[in-house]
Amino acid sequence: MNEMTTLQPGTVQSPGTGPAITLGEGDGLDAHTRRTLLQQERAIARKYSSSGKAMWPYTVATLGCFALWLAFWPLAMLDIMPLWIGFPLSCIFAAGGYITSHEAMHSNIGRPGTPQRFWNEAVGEVATIILIFPFSMARMMHLHHHYYTNDPEKDPDYTDAAPGKYSAWYKTWLNRQPGVDGSIHHYKRVLERIGTPAAKKALRDTMLLQLFSMAFFFAMSWAGYAMEVALLWWLPRHLGLSYIRYWLSWAPHHPRTGTGRYDNTRVFKTWIGHWLSMGMQYHVVHHLYPEVPNHLTRSAYREMKPILEARGVDCSALKD
Amino acid sequence: MQTALRQLFHWMPFLFGIGFIAPLIAQTMAYWEIPAPFGISRIAFGLMIGAPWGLYATLRGRWL
Repeated sequence: MNEMTTLQPGTVQSPGTGPAITLGEGDGLDAHTRRTLLQQERAIARKYSSSGKAMWPYTVATLGCFALWLAFWPLAMLDIMPLWIGFPLSCIFAAGGYITSHEAMHSNIGRPGTPQRFWNEAVGEVATIILIFPFSMARMMHLHHHYYTNDPEKDPDYTDAAPGKYSAWYKTWLNRQPGVDGSIHHYKRVLERIGTPAAKKALRDTMLLQLFSMAFFFAMSWAGYAMEVALLWWLPRHLGLSYIRYWLSWAPHHPRTGTGRYDNTRVFKTWIGHWLSMGMQYHVVHHLYPEVPNHLTRSAYREMKPILEARGVDCSALKD
Repeated sequence: MQTALRQLFHWMPFLFGIGFIAPLIAQTMAYWEIPAPFGISRIAFGLMIGAPWGLYATLRGRWL
């Protein structure tokens, strides 16, 4: 293995012969050391960066789960499948769909100009339909979140800020209320402010998806299938949105004070573990290198940890 | 067109109360075999809950 990628915890090596300078934490670094660390960091990120060919499981999972969710409707309406089976699975599809869509937002499933690009866009378009959250809006707002992380004015996700975990869960619900400037309401306002053709398209897509879904809700409900709508779409959407808002936005960015490259996320440990927290304990790697796909952030973090510590990131919450 | 759409979205919670909450209440009562009070139909009872609740959400900006 390349020496650039075999750093031991607590040591940071210059290329070649080992530590050249005794390093302080965070800002105590000179320009040469910073550059060397950045090179080492990038070498690790390159190793874990997504390749369109290796990302096919995201495509299969997204399209497969969406097809299953569509099948739930006739199966439930014809009493072939009980709703107690469809409901929890729809919740998983709603929350999990954001993860696969998120990879598409960063073009990790297929870069522009590659044969996999079609699948990247298909995954993005399909994955968040249950959330009634069109891909055009999701991608634009998420990339803005990356550009302006934790900026109270410009980060579209700043409205998720809350002083503690209970208030954060409450806020995931509060922000979706019709008269509150949070969540998708806030995104609409941000898109109106941006005003570019892409922003206008995102607003139009959002309006169309919302109108379609409400028309579907009302028609199905008055046709006698309100419980199917409630348990296959309406409630999974709300639970899924709260789950991703808490774990993907609040937890890795709390307390939302840092706006720098190494302090706009936090490394944390949660009892629900790596998979249920959707890999967010290692969110620092995602913000540094969005091209590292979600399932590889843990491995990348483990290699990058000595560098991150040298750059002042508090990694004490995660020993490995 | 834009004004009409803005109005439609402004009143969406009210429409949601009528279009979704009312039939959901009626069908949930039917599932659990709960009769509507005062001899009215379940859907009328659902509308009596859903429409004012949606109106409240429209005017106050919150469902609760």
